[in-house]
Amino acid sequence: MSGIFNSEVTISDSGFLFDHGTGLTYSLNETGQFIFTKMKEEVHANKMLELIMEEFDINEETARKDIDDFYRQLKEAGLID
Amino acid sequence: MGINVGITGLHATDNPAPGIGVIRSLKHPDGWDGEIIGLAYDVMDTGIYDEDLLDHSYMIPYPNTNSQQILERLLYIHDQNRMDVIIPTLDSELALFQKLEPDLKKAGIAIFIPEVDVSKKVSKVYIADFCEENNIDSPTTRIIKEPGELDKSIKEIGFPLMVKGVFYEAFKCRTKVEVLTHFDEMRTKWGYPIILQEVIEAEEYDICCVGDRDGNMLGAVPIRKTRLTDKGKAWAAITLKNDKLYDLSKKILKALKWAGPCELEILQDKKTKKMHLIEINPRFPAWIYLCTGADQNLPKMVVDLALGKKVDPLPVAKSGVTFVRHATDLVCPIEWLEKLTTIGELHY
Repeated sequence: MSGIFNSEVTISDSGFLFDHGTGLTYSLNETGQFIFTKMKEEVHANKMLELIMEEFDINEETARKDIDDFYRQLKEAGLID
Repeated sequence: MGINVGITGLHATDNPAPGIGVIRSLKHPDGWDGEIIGLAYDVMDTGIYDEDLLDHSYMIPYPNTNSQQILERLLYIHDQNRMDVIIPTLDSELALFQKLEPDLKKAGIAIFIPEVDVSKKVSKVYIADFCEENNIDSPTTRIIKEPGELDKSIKEIGFPLMVKGVFYEAFKCRTKVEVLTHFDEMRTKWGYPIILQEVIEAEEYDICCVGDRDGNMLGAVPIRKTRLTDKGKAWAAITLKNDKLYDLSKKILKALKWAGPCELEILQDKKTKKMHLIEINPRFPAWIYLCTGADQNLPKMVVDLALGKKVDPLPVAKSGVTFVRHATDLVCPIEWLEKLTTIGELHY
């Protein structure tokens, strides 16, 4: 286990994500990479929202949607519970 | 003086035998201090045409031939080119080498393979019982020894189900007609028993392990196959770091007191996440060189074990190492084919 992830998960600078437990790989876009990196740093959800709004210059509603979408995809992929 | 190793399973087509990967591992990274002797069953076993891998090749009789004839041939080869260790790499050879082991040992040829009763426990026919006795999950399985047992077993398992031959091949069947077709094929090809098995919607993982005969696992490399041939054989794969797979492998090898290499086939149920043991192949897998790339040189370990050396467990294998199989052409002189055909041996 690696923090909130179900197994060790690493990401390259280009956004290529590798799940060491299952061998599956994923390509993350810029937003996904940003959220993933903050998740690894165990940044709190409220802080994450704030950071995304600032980084991508978007409103709260869009930022929240981006986070929700990303978490949903991670769950579907079995990377988090 | 270097260690000379005889290796079988040198036919590497789209369903490759493990011998080539074993030799490449022994020679990794700076060559092998000793001779590598290829033991081939057919003059067209592809690996014997690779002079970079082998020092000598000898034809040997097929494993189902009279074991005395095979022994005599191996002793002849040993007399020509000393073999300190033999690594058999095919399922169909295990019983033969188990039988020949005392005579080979007497002649100074070491092998490191499981005992007859141990390998029998995990044969396709008995593995479900082994799992039950050791609290290891496995799919519902029925062993069919006569056609009369078929209907009842189909009803108990339900569709889809797998029809498996006692040694090779497995087919997924969705209807009774499909079951009957493959059942007849298997019966003709491999004979009884035929195995019916529940299909689990699952992720498949494979682990190559080495056991020390005392219940310890000395090395283990779990992988996920990422590309398959139409025969379901790995054409690409990636190594994993997965505690559940590692712990299950350890438990299995401990329960068996396994000696030597094996390949565990594990299915993880997509819903329950339970790990089911499907098969144990009593040999190195064809993708063994991937283990070497992941910092676990298991063939070298098996040579040491065969020679009675003390071997410590290896650190956890590196995850994220991948392989892609690559077919190539070997060009060679006609004299090689001539020598293998006429005198049954070739010295490169």
